[in-house]
Amino acid sequence: MEERVLVTKRDMAERAELLRSRGLAEPGGEDLVLGFFSDEKLVATGALVGNILQGIAVDREIEGEGAAAVVASALVKKAVERGIRRIFIYSKPEEARRFQDLGFTLLASVSVESSGLGASLLEWGSEGINAWKKNTAVIAENKPPMAGSVVVNCNPFTLGHRRLIEYASGNSKWLYIFVVQEDRSLFPFDVRFRLVSEGTADLPNVTVVPGGPYVISSATFPTYFTRIQAGDNSGKITELYAALDLEMFRKHVVPILNIGTRFVGTEPYCPVTSVYNEMMKRILPVPEEDCRAIDVVEIPRFLEEGVPVSASRVRDLIRENMMNEVENLVPEVTWKWLNSEDAVPVLEKIRKSNSRH
Amino acid sequence: MKAVKDSAAGSLESSDVLVTVIPSDGREVSLSVDSIVFKQYGARIRSVAEEMIDKSGLSGASVMIQDRGALECTLRARLETAIERSAAEK
Repeated sequence: MEERVLVTKRDMAERAELLRSRGLAEPGGEDLVLGFFSDEKLVATGALVGNILQGIAVDREIEGEGAAAVVASALVKKAVERGIRRIFIYSKPEEARRFQDLGFTLLASVSVESSGLGASLLEWGSEGINAWKKNTAVIAENKPPMAGSVVVNCNPFTLGHRRLIEYASGNSKWLYIFVVQEDRSLFPFDVRFRLVSEGTADLPNVTVVPGGPYVISSATFPTYFTRIQAGDNSGKITELYAALDLEMFRKHVVPILNIGTRFVGTEPYCPVTSVYNEMMKRILPVPEEDCRAIDVVEIPRFLEEGVPVSASRVRDLIRENMMNEVENLVPEVTWKWLNSEDAVPVLEKIRKSNSRH
Repeated sequence: MKAVKDSAAGSLESSDVLVTVIPSDGREVSLSVDSIVFKQYGARIRSVAEEMIDKSGLSGASVMIQDRGALECTLRARLETAIERSAAEK
């Protein structure tokens, strides 16, 4: 098979056809698409989307001849050349085994009954998740069992987050606050992490933890970072990824930190987060063979003068230059940062963008 | 010879091996071996890799071997290429 990078419209159309013939959709957001040709006919394809190998398909006629291994290793090599260290792959659950045999480690498999969709997430090599678990386990040393947890993006840290965290801290022996680490939000991760750390320093029983690559990341929940596209399937796909992220949470994070409860605020605005919360209530409280049941406590979003406080509202107000209203919605630590020199480029970016994040 | 860039050689195809070299801090070289024939050949793969790494004088790197049943000469060739690429000035 001859390997080629696909760019022309004709090549891409042929690729779309091959994907379709194997029941796959084009993943979207591809950084690189490879095609493999035999006698000028496209017989296999695969794509690199950030650090994720996606859209891998092999023509039925050459199936079982090791073509998937050729595609996967070509993509891995391209990713390594680009300096990508953590490489993930999505596959159908029934095909996960094939990639495990190639040296990928299975992280989670889910299928959503209502839509019939399923997905497996695998990671290249076996170092990643185990090293992460080892480092994370240190955090839990000498902490009480059945701890509480929240996962927040805090883009930026608002009074809504603060209220949720206060409530969770008051109702837990210990509370782990995961801050989404993926740097695809308007407020950079180091700022979000610092504001949460400083803004919760008065609470005696909390640890703020970087979310890392396994808690709401572009690998576990890619659609969290993009707008939901208008279209029939996007809701189902969001459900699928939400399920995958929650499966990762209960399978890998919960046992390491001995978590018993997850706290979450009701979501009035964002459709992705609201789907995520629904899936959370459906999935986490149901125990499975190697996963304990986790209580989900959803508390009403904090209201300011009858209007829910959310980070997206704060960003809207910044965009509309209504800073005096922002002051009522954020803790002092955030307000101080927003008025600092460091905030100038971030505020500028918010005013110019209409990104969901 | 310090590793300066990420490199990979070989493949995950049957009877081949994928060797990845990634620069790391310090002078140490860490090695991880994953093989479909680990039980029979894991120790041998490791000792070949250590020997090649020593001979090349590679330092400051993490070397990952994913073996799919490669012959020893294949393993040696892949190691040599990956190490050379990783240390090559560009």
